[in-house]
Amino acid sequence: MSDLVVDSQIRGWVFLPIVVITFLVGILRHYISILLASQKKIEPQQLQDSQMILRSRLLRENSRYLPRSSFLMRRHFFNNEESGYLTQKRPPVTQNVMTDPTMMTDMLKGNVTNVLPMIIIGGWINWMFSGFITTRVPFPLTLRFKPMLQRGIELMHLDASWVSSASWYFLNVFGLRSIYALVLGENNGADQARQMQDQMSGAAMAMPPDPKVAFKAEWEALEIIDHQWSLNDLESHILSSLSNCS
Amino acid sequence: MNYLNQLSWSDARDLLRTWRDNNDRKSEEVLHLWKSVLEYNLNKLGGEKFSVLEQVCLAALDCYHIPTVDYCIKLLSNEFPSSLRVKKFYAMRLEAQECYDDALKVLDALIKKDETNNAPRKRKIAILKAQGRSVEAIKELVDYLKIFMADTEGWQELSDLYIAEQDFNKAAFCIEELILHNPHNHLLHQRYADIRYTQGGYDNLELARAYYCQALKLNPNNLRALYGVYLTSSNIASSPKCTANKKKESLKLTEWALSEIKNKYSTVKDKYTDSNLEDRLSITKFFI
Repeated sequence: MSDLVVDSQIRGWVFLPIVVITFLVGILRHYISILLASQKKIEPQQLQDSQMILRSRLLRENSRYLPRSSFLMRRHFFNNEESGYLTQKRPPVTQNVMTDPTMMTDMLKGNVTNVLPMIIIGGWINWMFSGFITTRVPFPLTLRFKPMLQRGIELMHLDASWVSSASWYFLNVFGLRSIYALVLGENNGADQARQMQDQMSGAAMAMPPDPKVAFKAEWEALEIIDHQWSLNDLESHILSSLSNCS
Repeated sequence: MNYLNQLSWSDARDLLRTWRDNNDRKSEEVLHLWKSVLEYNLNKLGGEKFSVLEQVCLAALDCYHIPTVDYCIKLLSNEFPSSLRVKKFYAMRLEAQECYDDALKVLDALIKKDETNNAPRKRKIAILKAQGRSVEAIKELVDYLKIFMADTEGWQELSDLYIAEQDFNKAAFCIEELILHNPHNHLLHQRYADIRYTQGGYDNLELARAYYCQALKLNPNNLRALYGVYLTSSNIASSPKCTANKKKESLKLTEWALSEIKNKYSTVKDKYTDSNLEDRLSITKFFI
C-alpha cells in the first residue's frame, strides 16, 4: 500500500491552528479561573477538629515518652465518656449541596471554566475542521486505536496510525499540560486533567466533612493503646552499659 | 559586616533567600543588604520581590528603622491592598512604636475578619507579653491553643509564661505536649527534667532523673543533662524515702556523672588556655 500524501495546506490551516487554539484557550481559562476563584472559608470548628485529630495521633505515636499519669490525663481528655472531645455529641451536620449558595456558586464556576469551554470549543473545532487527516504517529497501531485516533473519519481501510483533526484536538487538550506548567507555573487553572480528577472526586470532596467517623476511629485507636513508658529503667541501662564497658 | 558591601544584587538575593528558608533572624545584616544593594535593584527581583520586602520589613522592625518599615508597607499594600498579611505588618509597626492600644485595635479587626488566621492572634499575645500582662497573655494563649492545638510555638511560649509565673505543673504539661510533637529533641527532655527538678519532691526527682538520662541518651554531649543527673541522683540518694537498693544505684550514677563531667572538662581544658577561659567567662557575664 503506497503512503498517503497529505496536502501541506492542512499543516498550515488545520494542524497548527488547532494547537494554537487549544493552547490559547487553556491560557484564557487559567486567567478566568483566577478571576473567579473564591477563597475557601474554613470554619474554626473544622480547624479545631483537624488539629485535635493531629494531636491525638501524636499522642498515640509518641506516648511512650510521657510518664504514665500524663498519658492517662490526656487520654481522659480525649476519651472520657461525659465530656471527652472525641466522644462528644455534635448536632449532625446537614449541609445540603443544593441549599448552600456558596456550594452552588462554586459548582457553577467550575462548570463555567471547565465544562463549557470544553463543549463549545470542542464542538466548534469538530464543525470547523471536521474530516481532515492531520498527522500520523510514527509507529504502527492496531485497529482498536481507530476510534481513538480517527474520530470523525469512518474509513475502514485507513491505517490506524493516521490521526484525524478531532482526535488531534483531544490529544492537544490533554497533552499540553506540561507546556502550561512551563508557561504558567505549577498548579495552574488550565490544567484540565487535574480539573477532571477534581471532578471525579468532587462528589466525595463536596460532602460536608463529618468528623464523627474520624473521631470514632481515633477514639478506638486511643482506647486500645497500652502505655509503656520507654524511660523506665533508663538509669539501670546506663549503669549496666557502664559495667559492661569497664 | 564589611563583606556584605561587595555583594552583587543577585548574590544578595540568594543570601536573603537562604536566610529566609532557614528562618535566620539576622536583622541587621538584612537591613544592611537592603540599604546597600537591594533598595535600588528591587524591580530586578521579579516574583521574589514581595517576600524580600516582607523580610526587610521585619528586619527593619527589629532594628527600629521606621522609614524603611513604612516604605516596605507602602509598596506591599499598593500591590495587595486588602491583604490581611500586610495589615499585620502595619499593626507590628504600631507595636514597635509602643502604640499598643492602636495595634490591638488593628489586630482585633483582623481577627474578626478571619477567625482562622493565627498570625494576628499570636501578635496580640506578643503585645500582652511585651506589656508585662502575663496573666492576660496566658489566658489569651490558652484560648488560642484551644483552637490551634498543634502549634508547637504556642506551647513553647505558654510554658515559658507559666515558668515566669512559677506554675510548674502547667509548664510541664506544655513541655509534654512539645515532647509529643518532637520526641527526639534532647533539649525538650532536658527542659522537662529541669521543671520537674525545680518542683522537687521524691517522685519528681526520679522523673527528672529519667528525663535527664533520656536527654543524655539523645545527645551524650549535653553537659547540663549530665549535671542534672548528678544533682538528682545525689538528692535521691540522700532522701529518706530511698530504699537501700536504689540508694546504691543512685550513688553509682552520681559517681559516674561526676567522673563524666570531670572528663569533659579535662578534654576542654586542653584546648583552651586559661586566659582564654577568663575571656569567655567575662563574655558569659555580659550576656547574663
